[in-house]
Amino acid sequence: MHEMILWQVGNSTVHGTTLVMTWIVMAAIIIFVRLGVRNLTSGKPGKFQNILEWLVDFIKNLVSENMDYKKGSPLLSYLLTLILFIFFSNMLGLIPNLVGPFLHNVEFAKLNQIFGGPVLMSPTADINTTMGLATLTIILVVYLGIKHKGASYFRHFIEPNALFLPIHIVDILSKPMTLAFRLFGNIYAGEVLIAVILMLPGLYVFGGVIGPMPIWLGFSIFIGTIQSFVFTVLTIAYVAQAVAHDH
Amino acid sequence: MNPLGIGFAYTIAATGSDNPISFDLTYFAMIFSFLILVWFLAKYAWKPLMDMMEKRRQFIEDNLAHAEQERNDAEKIRLEYQEEMRQARSEAQSIIESAIKISEQQAAEIIVQARKENERMKEVALADIGRERDKAITDVKAQVADMSVAIAEKIIRQKLDMTGQEALIDQFIQEVGDKPC
Repeated sequence: MHEMILWQVGNSTVHGTTLVMTWIVMAAIIIFVRLGVRNLTSGKPGKFQNILEWLVDFIKNLVSENMDYKKGSPLLSYLLTLILFIFFSNMLGLIPNLVGPFLHNVEFAKLNQIFGGPVLMSPTADINTTMGLATLTIILVVYLGIKHKGASYFRHFIEPNALFLPIHIVDILSKPMTLAFRLFGNIYAGEVLIAVILMLPGLYVFGGVIGPMPIWLGFSIFIGTIQSFVFTVLTIAYVAQAVAHDH
Repeated sequence: MNPLGIGFAYTIAATGSDNPISFDLTYFAMIFSFLILVWFLAKYAWKPLMDMMEKRRQFIEDNLAHAEQERNDAEKIRLEYQEEMRQARSEAQSIIESAIKISEQQAAEIIVQARKENERMKEVALADIGRERDKAITDVKAQVADMSVAIAEKIIRQKLDMTGQEALIDQFIQEVGDKPC
């Protein structure tokens, strides 16, 4: 678990650790994707292109299973980036901090403190990240709902009658909240537990090879994968709900 | 700073920086960063990748359609060949049949001609025979006449004057000749 390093921006603050880790994730994703699209071929694809194509097919199937594919296809780029970003973010918190020793003298942007911990930090272990992504999801839901159904999109707020309006409002507010807190809670708890395991006596004696650490890392990989999948699937499901025709 | 305006989040965030649930400008920075990432990847990765996949799908579809087309063509050619073979066979059959008919006709004609020829030759032979017979008869008549004259001469040499009896002999011979032999 990281102590959150704050950067002062005007009279407000930003979470420096989260931003630095986000940029690392973005760089990693761009490198990973770049490896896949470097030698694009419609013939026999290379290893990385194969992975990306598998991912594209996976998301395409998810979208076409949940909604009219024509309505969903403009979302593909967003959904692909979303699942990759959350997955890479979740994994980043499991990576040992190997650059820390080289940066312990760098005062610039408090980098020595940002890279002060034993492991890197998941950007998704910050509620700002997950809430930001969830906000984008709900903006997307409302936008696509209006785009495909016009003003009649708002009619579902008073169905079956006007008394249900508060319930529908709670529904649309709770969607991004649950999305954000589910992801945040899972990943943050994982990081907390890693920090706790690292505080166990005798761990360094065994080098972390045996004992709770590898088990928990393995489980965290599993959780991180599942959570990125869940977030993406729920985004698709919410959008599908909004754009579906009334029966 | 509480951009969401959510009361409880603000309360929690206000309790200190150690609290994991604290909102500040990071929220907007994250949305901004993520949208930039979406834009960048959409432009430089997903679009070319999906175009490529579409191209491959198109390529395979074209190939399949092409293969189907070729298969149909082959089937058509096979049917054509079969039809041609069938025609050739029936043509050969009709040629053989007409040849048999012609040969039968020719054979019949030959037989008829042969019969006619045969008939003609028989008639010619009969005529020859008749002529020869007539000739033989004439010869025999002449010889008989000569021999009769000689015999008569011998018999009646003494009594008859050869020159004076010529008329009598001719009459005699005439009588012999009129008789059927």
